Amino acid sequence: MTAAASDARSVIVRGIVLTTLGLLGVAAVMVLALWFTPVEATQGPAQKIFYVHVPAAFTALWMAVPATAFAGLLYLWLHDPRLDRFAAASAEVSLVFCLVVLVTGPIWARPIWGAWWTWDGRLTLTLFLFFLLLGYQTMRAAIRDPVERARFSAVLGAMGLVLVPFIHLSVYLWRGLHPKPIVLKPSDPSLPPEMLHTLLYGIGAAVILYVGLVTLAYGIQLAQDLREAADAR
Amino acid sequence: MGNLLRLAVVLAGKDLRLELRTRTSIVSAAVFAALVLIVFNFARDPTAVATIDLAPSVLWVTIAFASVLAMNRGFLVERENAAFDGLLLAPVPREALYLGKFLANFAFVVLVEAIALPLFVLFFNLDIAHALGGLVLTMLLATMGFVAVGTIFSAMVVKTRFAELMLPVLLLPFMVPPLILAVKTSVPLFSGRPLSEVVDGLRFLAIYDIVFITLALLLFPAVVDE
Amino acid sequence: MPDNSGFLYAAYVVAGVIYLGYTISLLLRARRR
Repeated sequence: MTAAASDARSVIVRGIVLTTLGLLGVAAVMVLALWFTPVEATQGPAQKIFYVHVPAAFTALWMAVPATAFAGLLYLWLHDPRLDRFAAASAEVSLVFCLVVLVTGPIWARPIWGAWWTWDGRLTLTLFLFFLLLGYQTMRAAIRDPVERARFSAVLGAMGLVLVPFIHLSVYLWRGLHPKPIVLKPSDPSLPPEMLHTLLYGIGAAVILYVGLVTLAYGIQLAQDLREAADAR
Repeated sequence: MGNLLRLAVVLAGKDLRLELRTRTSIVSAAVFAALVLIVFNFARDPTAVATIDLAPSVLWVTIAFASVLAMNRGFLVERENAAFDGLLLAPVPREALYLGKFLANFAFVVLVEAIALPLFVLFFNLDIAHALGGLVLTMLLATMGFVAVGTIFSAMVVKTRFAELMLPVLLLPFMVPPLILAVKTSVPLFSGRPLSEVVDGLRFLAIYDIVFITLALLLFPAVVDE
Repeated sequence: MPDNSGFLYAAYVVAGVIYLGYTISLLLRARRR
């Protein structure tokens, strides 16, 4: 195995380790929420979906998507293929986290609000993010030349990043000046300490899982790129 | 700056002349808009929902879809004749290329809208003469938003497989803010509210346009240059 | 207090399946190389 290939292998191994830690962390938070965290009086047990839903949303919106966009912008400046590889990995993982948000959201909404989908501002934004990321993947799959793919992905990523605040603004405008109140806000200081702690553990686990999955996806792509380069010779 | 604009106008003129000679795209887009309006008419129950409530949505969905259709032709013409490489080799600043395409696409979509709007008024029996000024302004601003993003995306997808499908897939999320703002502005106008009441919506539309045209100008060289 | 723990379990299971499923798909992709 060449030195480069063994580098790829070690990245993959590191990714597997971190991902396993992340998965165990998410499972541990679920156990914590189910058995130790107090139940919220008005919403009932279903409120605890919060401890999986919010960390996924936070990670997707504030880590995964910006990482993709900024890595892309850096690529436009530095032309380093590693940046594109990272952007692609982050985009793919973002998609998965968005899916978790979009699935757990309605499951939470149904018992609380009585409807599966209420065009809630934050869920709607996540829905758009999901479609942007889907478009990103679709476009990447349709371009064969890696340099062109990297450039176009960076352009799409940059435009998507600028779009997000506009979507946020226009969705809230569309829903009127009285958006549905969300009973528990993560930044709400009146969250009782046990709930806050569980939430923070949840966010920590999600972040570790994100880092692990991106590392793993990156390593796999690196190994593939190396193999293709070797085949070409 | 003035040079850039002049170049852009020249490029746009070439595009429009080409288009007017064959007229296929304009006719297809206009026919499409008419068909959508007709289908909407049959798909609604006038006793259940008042026309005036449904009208803005119908108008804007029609415009949105017809715009995407109209922009699909985007860079296809150049690509088919390898003329694009010629354009790139010429000492034309990339910004002028984008602006030229933008102006051509914009003129094109506005032309389709100019055909769709009277049909809309006709089919839905609306008296919106009082709102015409505001409506036209809204249409122009929203169209600028659609075309700003559509132009750079069509340059990107023209080389991919399934280009005609890829453009709407990428473009639709970007069309949502101008769409929402356009509908929000149209509803009061249709109900007879004065223009002064919808100035905020128009301002947001203008901001969207400025931001994305600037962004597209900055990013366009990265799309067309090797 | 409403008894909606069914939804809670469903959400946790589905989230777990999505995370785990994606991880396994990545591992399979790595294995195939």
